[in-house]
Amino acid sequence: MRLFLFAIGGTGSRVLKSLIMLSAAGVRPVDENGRPVPNVEIVPVIIDPHKSNEDLKRTEALLTAYRELRQRLYGNAVNADGFFATRFVTLREIMSEGSIQLNDTFIFNLGAVEREKFRDFIGYDTMNEANQALTSLLFADYQLENKMNIGFVGSPNIGSVALNEIKDSDEFKAFANVFNQGDRIFFISSIFGGTGAAGFPIMVKNIRQAKNLEINNRDVLRKAPIGGLTVLPYFNIEHNEDHRIDKADFIVKTQSALYYYKDTMTGANDSNLNAIFYVGDQEVSKPYTYDPGEHGQRNRAHLVEMVGALAPLKFAGMPLNRLSDPDGFPLQTSAFEFALDKDERDVNFLTLRATTRRLVYDPMVRFHLLFLYLRTGFRDQVGQGFTEDAPKIKSDFLNSQFYRTLTDEFMRAYVDWLVEMHDNNRSVSLFSLGETDMNRAINAVGTRKSLLGRKNVDNNVFKAEMNRLSRDARYSEHTVEYKLLDLFNRAAQRIINERYEAIN
Amino acid sequence: MKDKLVYLCIGIALTVLFFVFREDVYNAFYYASGFNDQLWNLGLYDIIAIITIIMAWGGAAVYYYAINSVRWDRWWHWLVVLAVITLVTPSICYAVNVHSFSEAGLEFQLEAASFEVGNLLITALMFIIASFSMRWWSSNCRHTPIPQ
Repeated sequence: MRLFLFAIGGTGSRVLKSLIMLSAAGVRPVDENGRPVPNVEIVPVIIDPHKSNEDLKRTEALLTAYRELRQRLYGNAVNADGFFATRFVTLREIMSEGSIQLNDTFIFNLGAVEREKFRDFIGYDTMNEANQALTSLLFADYQLENKMNIGFVGSPNIGSVALNEIKDSDEFKAFANVFNQGDRIFFISSIFGGTGAAGFPIMVKNIRQAKNLEINNRDVLRKAPIGGLTVLPYFNIEHNEDHRIDKADFIVKTQSALYYYKDTMTGANDSNLNAIFYVGDQEVSKPYTYDPGEHGQRNRAHLVEMVGALAPLKFAGMPLNRLSDPDGFPLQTSAFEFALDKDERDVNFLTLRATTRRLVYDPMVRFHLLFLYLRTGFRDQVGQGFTEDAPKIKSDFLNSQFYRTLTDEFMRAYVDWLVEMHDNNRSVSLFSLGETDMNRAINAVGTRKSLLGRKNVDNNVFKAEMNRLSRDARYSEHTVEYKLLDLFNRAAQRIINERYEAIN
Repeated sequence: MKDKLVYLCIGIALTVLFFVFREDVYNAFYYASGFNDQLWNLGLYDIIAIITIIMAWGGAAVYYYAINSVRWDRWWHWLVVLAVITLVTPSICYAVNVHSFSEAGLEFQLEAASFEVGNLLITALMFIIASFSMRWWSSNCRHTPIPQ
């Protein structure tokens, strides 16, 4: 199954970033029995006219690094187990040779939307006086003057006009052509901004009305299972005299949009969505710098984004009979919310509910231990023990593209992500940041008691476990990259089970 | 797996050969008429060879399967064990040697010491043979002293 994942606007990019982190750790879609869903391939498509958005750029860089690392680990295999298990592909990668030419990128090319002022885009100057008057009633002056390469600055009324062009784009046609029976579609967007709030319903409308479009797969597409994550207000922005984006408007915008969604997508008579996931937080975040877009918009990662990233995974694991009727048409929209086990400002693994914890605890801890191991232990162990088994991990591996991308690029972004979530409000304190002692690395979870104090976890414990696993396994057919990460993944699983307190 | 078993079989075969030809081997390293005759008469070749084999194979087994630690997996750790075994084994053999001779009323202390210098080399060789025969199944030290 391919999951076409449309991440719309700044929030879309940030949630996608969290999804990449979770996927790197090995969090995967699971079915209702908790078993990983096989053959899932994610096709992320970022829709945001604000190309200089720092969050978008960070997410794109991370996706590129993820793809490179995964390719080296598993090649083109769809199914994998462990770190970087889920395959992320671009539209270009999966489309067959044809008349449509796309760049090999995760970003949707919005063409003119990204280049023009809104007034030029709608041809304001060519309108007659009556239409100009009507347009002026619908759009404020600053909205008409808005150059859309910085996004729609919290104005869904601009987005709903500008993004209507998407259905005629090459990207949309390519997507429609590669969409097959059994695939699913998921949207990530915020409801209190401009791009996401407008883009989500437009995209859903265009897909459900595919029979009117000149594309292949019309029937399959219009019956496609569609899910959406609607991110409710969760962050605060610094006060500014320029009121183009104002936190006071967030709730009003949300209410209006929810009514609109109910009428067009989720209502009893208009179930165009198969499933919708709502996530937000009334706890006030640390205020973000006021930046409608001109200065790049770089917002701190937030718990809501991490939680939101679980929504597409849940959607991918839902059985089809809970989404569609036997003819393939959507059932009444299933709505989901998220709750913490405890309403606390400092969120650790014990603050999460058991179902969430079961999904993320093991993979995230394994990945964090990998991060600590690569940072503090691996370099000194090259040339010893398991590294000497075939295929040998030699010291030049430390200078390889894979290792540098993993440690310099991906792990650095991982730390930034953790630090940003930690410094936000709520504060996500899953791990003790800056702590290199593996015994104390997981907040609220210690190592098990033993006869003499507590069980120890350090680089040598990992080395011994990987030595043992490597002795009993055969990696000679695999790459050194696969060997290292697979060994560590298996060693970490055993060490977590045997040496850390059980919380699941 | 096959390769590893071949190494083990070769090691065992060399050890058996050493035991079968123990007298020739020891005489090749050190020979003093009278002393070596008495070794033969008192059956000390058997005892010394058995002690040497047990110490070398036992020492290797302790290193690879009892110590078997990631903190003791470098070549110099193995060298330390080899040094200990090659010093302790001739010492034990010397003590057994001198004790047996004195019980028989014989005085060959100087010759016994020289003989054990040769035995030192044989012990070291036997420890190396034992190491390369059994190290392959050790989880942490199978690449010591030389990577596979």
